[in-house]
Amino acid sequence: MADKGNDPAVIWQTMIGEMEKGFNSFANQAMASPEFSKVMNQVGGVTAGAQKQLGEMMEKYLVSMNLPSRAQLVGMAERIQAIEGQLNEIKALLHQVHHNSLAPEGGYGAPRPPRTKRPPPEGEKK
Amino acid sequence: MNAPAGLDLASIPERIQSEVQRAIQRSIKGVEYFASSGPSLGSTPKDILAVRGTMNLYHYRPIADEIYRVPILIVMATTNRGYILDMVPGQSFIEFLLKRGYDVYMLDWTAPKPEEKSLRMEDYVLDFIPDCVRRVQQDCGETDVTVIGYCFGGVLSLLYGSIFNDGPMKNLICFTTPVDFREMKLFSNFSDRRYFDVDRLVDSVGNMPPEMILSSFDMLRPASRVTGQIQLWDNIWNDEFVKSYRMFDRWANDILPLAGEYFRTITKDLMWDNKLYNDTMTVGGRAANIADIKVPILHAVAEHDHIVPYDAAKHLITKVGSTDKEEVMLKGGHVSLVAGPNAIKRLWPKLDNWLGKRST
Repeated sequence: MADKGNDPAVIWQTMIGEMEKGFNSFANQAMASPEFSKVMNQVGGVTAGAQKQLGEMMEKYLVSMNLPSRAQLVGMAERIQAIEGQLNEIKALLHQVHHNSLAPEGGYGAPRPPRTKRPPPEGEKK
Repeated sequence: MNAPAGLDLASIPERIQSEVQRAIQRSIKGVEYFASSGPSLGSTPKDILAVRGTMNLYHYRPIADEIYRVPILIVMATTNRGYILDMVPGQSFIEFLLKRGYDVYMLDWTAPKPEEKSLRMEDYVLDFIPDCVRRVQQDCGETDVTVIGYCFGGVLSLLYGSIFNDGPMKNLICFTTPVDFREMKLFSNFSDRRYFDVDRLVDSVGNMPPEMILSSFDMLRPASRVTGQIQLWDNIWNDEFVKSYRMFDRWANDILPLAGEYFRTITKDLMWDNKLYNDTMTVGGRAANIADIKVPILHAVAEHDHIVPYDAAKHLITKVGSTDKEEVMLKGGHVSLVAGPNAIKRLWPKLDNWLGKRST
């Protein structure tokens, strides 16, 4: 069998791993400086402001095109999710009231296992 | 000419054949990769007990014939989705707990809506968590509840446990939970109060966009995304590797926005003033000193955690007031501590062993 030290695949993987570690370590040192924080936050502040303005412009554009914006679609999705949540609550209440066979297997209204479990004795394999 | 020491010339044709086969497999699987969706995650059967804005409370259906008396409430980190603890069958922490006879509930989060930007720390600690604890008590009929908090979910659990120190929390388990925020050195530098105008940011964007949060996580290991892609290509012939990569990659990119006011408090009280470590933290005017926590506590930390370094997490056990307390350091990183092959053989059995005898 070939020695692992000479296996090109192993050498390649090791090299990638070392490069990753080296670059991360170098970048982390650079990012730990106050200068980095200053520049990052200046750029970040400008970018966040610009993104917000761009978002507002896009929203106006979409309104003029009679199209929904992403925020509106997300809002719709979340309203549907909220309706689903309310339906689930209603379902739970119905099952609590009726305790009938409509309950999904192991779901609402189904009998729960007894809460009597004890831990296995020390050293026993589970 | 002699072969270099250790090189077996007879194995070279075999090796070439294997590499050619892998190259062919890479091409086939590469196409499959882009044409298919990833594995279905978070599929352990559960019922939704409550949905209230960003708060979601699930109850996982028990699968053991007999369960422990004390239920578990898992509090997820507010930046991440709870399915990291419920990946796929066989690699699901939730499934593991259910099989071992625990009754499991999870407080998971969805993205706060723009109008929820005013959610404050007190909404999470004094409202959402106590509300979920009450609902768990009502649902299972037990008073005691074990709380498990992952990462920032651990911080929220600590704050909750400090304030509601007379019950009903019976046990507390924290995974990779920071206490000394100065020791999260890069995050600390990114949010340096001299340059980071959190008020301006929150006032302009409302909720903290997930892209900004993801970028700050990525910046901790800037080369890892590229090398991850290289490793994926290298191993794309390996179905197990690809499945695992897709699961973790999807989760890591599925970041939630943070409510603006809540983020403002995290920055000012924790990152800037380090109030949790300095014992000066208050939530909604109520003192939240972790020395007031007296319940049994287990803190699991990861040896190679780049997000919450050990120096940021190590003070938890020394500062809590509990007498029954234990810290366990396990091999792995911030995520592999709780999910994946490392967690299956290290953390999960350890947790079961610790919690079982405290759950009767």
